[in-house]
Amino acid sequence: MSSATKKIKLLLYKNFPVILLFVAVLNETDFNYSNLKYFSFNFSYILIFYYSVKRSQSLGYIYIFIAGLLNDIVVGTPIGLSSLMYLILCVTASYLRNITLRPSLIKDSIFFLITILITNSLLFIALNFIFNYELEIFDQIINITFTFILYFLFSNIFNFFEKYLMSNNNVR
Amino acid sequence: MESSRDDFVIALRSAFLKKGVQQRFSLLTLIFFSIIFLILGSLNFKATNYVKIAIEEIVYRSSFVVSLPENLLKDNYLVVQSYLNLYKVNEKNISELKVLKSKTISNNIIEYENIKLKQLIDDYFVAGNEIFAKVLIDKKSPFLRSVIINKGSKNNIKLGMAVLDDIYFIGKVVEVNYTTSRVLLISDINSKIPVSLEPNSIQAIMSGNGNERGIIEYISDANLKNKSEKLIVFTSGMAGLFKSGIPIGKIDKKNFLANTEFMVDFYKDLSQLKYVKILSFKKEFLNSTVQVEKKTSKIDIENLENSKREDINFLKKQKEISKEIRKKLEDQNSSLNEQLIELRKENTELNKLISKANIINPQEKMKEKDVKFLELNLLYGNKCSKDNFKNILKKKYKVGTTEYRACVLNKGKY
Repeated sequence: MSSATKKIKLLLYKNFPVILLFVAVLNETDFNYSNLKYFSFNFSYILIFYYSVKRSQSLGYIYIFIAGLLNDIVVGTPIGLSSLMYLILCVTASYLRNITLRPSLIKDSIFFLITILITNSLLFIALNFIFNYELEIFDQIINITFTFILYFLFSNIFNFFEKYLMSNNNVR
Repeated sequence: MESSRDDFVIALRSAFLKKGVQQRFSLLTLIFFSIIFLILGSLNFKATNYVKIAIEEIVYRSSFVVSLPENLLKDNYLVVQSYLNLYKVNEKNISELKVLKSKTISNNIIEYENIKLKQLIDDYFVAGNEIFAKVLIDKKSPFLRSVIINKGSKNNIKLGMAVLDDIYFIGKVVEVNYTTSRVLLISDINSKIPVSLEPNSIQAIMSGNGNERGIIEYISDANLKNKSEKLIVFTSGMAGLFKSGIPIGKIDKKNFLANTEFMVDFYKDLSQLKYVKILSFKKEFLNSTVQVEKKTSKIDIENLENSKREDINFLKKQKEISKEIRKKLEDQNSSLNEQLIELRKENTELNKLISKANIINPQEKMKEKDVKFLELNLLYGNKCSKDNFKNILKKKYKVGTTEYRACVLNKGKY
């Protein structure tokens, strides 16, 4: 393999969470707004929380802030709202990181559940009462439930990616 | 107790203020930025609006690029599906086409009658500015049912313009950038469209339900459920933004039973939009009558031509029928002539026979007279004959003479 392709590969591996976050935000298909009545989850929340807890250096806050702005533009919510929610998620993740001595998936997930409950509540209040958007509370509950459940799956996938692919390619 | 509170404060402060590796801004700074963005966005400053438009331009384009692989897959899937359904769809189309063709002429006439009537009440709108656009992004956000199109203020797109897919109303323009615009779909909760429900002409306001259907709100007739099985929803043209009579969807009675609300099924699948038509409507004033007259005269000519064509066809058929009848009559005539000739022949033969019979009869009569004479001769011959001496004083005739014969036939009298 030539050095150029190796460099590109390394760059892609290194910036994988950032690329994934931007693709998730800009892509037309968004699991957060799936047309299914009883299924939706916020992939961006999972990604941001996981990488803020586990590898904060992989996903810079500024990228998260920009991703939030882009999400607002694409989705049509007031600009700055998603950024605020993402950053609140980062704050809680950072707090968890600071207070955790022995990390475990269960603890992380419980903390994640509390965090998404807070962020979605704030989002609901802001959109419903300040910006006059109409939201279904039932959809929000479904969204929170599936985001929480799928956190286990995605954290394992990200773990696998970090452990095997990244270490094999000597990215870190 | 105090130390645990200290730990909490330290951890929280660290979370907010500590810049991580390769982090240029702390989280607190970025949170402030987001709040500032939110406030500026809601205050509607000109400068922030320009910045917003610039960001939107970039984001919409990049979102379109990012979505390309996914859209490619979607398109291919749809193509395969359409190939699989080709035969069924074709059969259905053919049967529908037959029905529609028959309806087209009457519809045209009704349409132009409608134009004339609308002209009379000064409510005739024409599409002023017609622009076709491609849908760049269709993010199915529950907060905002909208699509981004690739035409903006550069292409004379203005706020509030009506957006149609084919002939069906699908939304209106709510945000205009330089080369892109955002269209608020009728399925959005915030979309409030004045509509008219036909056939009862009931006025109402329709909003979206956030999914793929609409809800009729502020309906003026509460007993609507008892009236009709199916209702068609059109734009009513109230407020003068859109022209009246653009079809939107239909209300099925089945939905009445399931729901207390009136649910509208849109004619168009709003999740499958690719190309849309953006229109602004304006009233026609001075030239309108001329145009309508032109249109109506055009339709009159068309109708006249159609009726002429129908007449010609009718006459042709009549001609064919009369030809057939004539042929039949000729055949009948010839056969009758033949019969007549034969009958005449028979007649002549019969006449001959009659004349023959007439020739035979006098001889027989003579024979009969002779027989009668002989019979009478035996009885009265003595009275008339000279040879009998008893008749010496009476007048007598010689046997064999005509006088003798007459005397015998007169039974011996003179």
